[in-house]
Amino acid sequence: MSMECVVQGIIETQHVEALEILLQGLCGVKRERLRVHELCLKSGPNLGVVSSEVRLLCDLDQPEPTWTVKHVGGPMRGAGADQISVMVRTMIESKVSKNALRMFYALGYKLDHELLKVGFAFHFQRTAHISVSVSSVNKMPKVHAIDEAVPVTPGMQIVDVTAPATPENYSEVAAAVSSFCEFLAPLVHLSKPFISTGVVPTAAAAAASLMSDGGGTTL
Amino acid sequence: MPVKWVLHWQPNQGSTVSSQILNEVTQCVESINGVKEGRWKATLNYYKPMLRDQANQSEFPRDFLGISLADQPNKYYFIIRSQRIVLEADSSIQLIMEKLQSYKSKVALYFDGFQYQLGDFRLRVGKVVPTHSENVRGIVMEVEYLPISSMEKAQKVMEEFLEIWNEALAKRSLPGKFVNIDLNFVEFGLGDNYTPQHTAVRYALVMAHMIATVQAVRG
Repeated sequence: MSMECVVQGIIETQHVEALEILLQGLCGVKRERLRVHELCLKSGPNLGVVSSEVRLLCDLDQPEPTWTVKHVGGPMRGAGADQISVMVRTMIESKVSKNALRMFYALGYKLDHELLKVGFAFHFQRTAHISVSVSSVNKMPKVHAIDEAVPVTPGMQIVDVTAPATPENYSEVAAAVSSFCEFLAPLVHLSKPFISTGVVPTAAAAAASLMSDGGGTTL
Repeated sequence: MPVKWVLHWQPNQGSTVSSQILNEVTQCVESINGVKEGRWKATLNYYKPMLRDQANQSEFPRDFLGISLADQPNKYYFIIRSQRIVLEADSSIQLIMEKLQSYKSKVALYFDGFQYQLGDFRLRVGKVVPTHSENVRGIVMEVEYLPISSMEKAQKVMEEFLEIWNEALAKRSLPGKFVNIDLNFVEFGLGDNYTPQHTAVRYALVMAHMIATVQAVRG
């Protein structure tokens, strides 16, 4: 699996609980806590013919923090890509032992920015292996100061829906992600990253409905 | 996992290493009742930075190695010996390095040989050859003592094995002997309990010694 299909959206914090109820009903799996320190590294000025970026993700929700190195490619382009409502891009991940940051610094990479994502996620199978995460994105006043992190956009959270894909099956995976996103439409509008469509104006009503009868209503 | 030493063949002053010596070594293993279990292969890559300006080369590590180990088929190990860094990663990290294009593998070496069971020991003996070449650059021997995973506890047994092994070899009047190099694993953040990361570091040290030996012979 060396590609991924991605969509993103934003939701007001006050509606996150309703979204969680909706997701719980749709996904049929237990929600998982999300607490990830994301460090975005960029190659130093002289390194590489072109500059490169790599992400280090530290999962703080484990008793012992676990690290992953992630490389995300540019989105697929062309007429085919324009027709797909999700972003398709190369994505390669590798679990690593705890020395990854030290190693990349030694190789000439610099910290470009870092974030702390706090929230929850659902991972489930529906044609594709889909992950939905809802998190507040926090920035740090000082380098690596996780405990002092503050939200970048207070009152708003990010919803990410991703699914791994291959060059052979990305159309199917994209379709699965797309059709799943339709269920979330009453609360959050999901689209290709960097193409923000804002919040759903009727989210409040949808949320109220979900909260009042615990998700039994079909929206 | 069991404690492992990585021995390398140290040729006598003025002599070189060859396939013939490797044949003698494997015959010696078999003569002391080593039971051949199968082929053994490992690969080591030297990575060089891709720089836009060669003038600042010294800012980047000159000893950035990557190694795949036979007993960890889904993992890959990076070592920057000069900075005492060792990293264990999934094999996919090699794809990430390819995507980043900041470092490229300029020299690859294969370890190619056989694995033997000898009582409580597992041995692997093989030649070190560059890719696309039959030129034997060295001989490496892994000695694993299966019952113990504490390096401290295994020290005496391993020393005794090395003594007996070199005595058995001496009867063949070969121009050299096997040597173990000790190092301070604590500097690499590694403890007394043996792990594949210890093996990766041992290999980095063995390669440094092999290169130094070749240079001494030439120089």
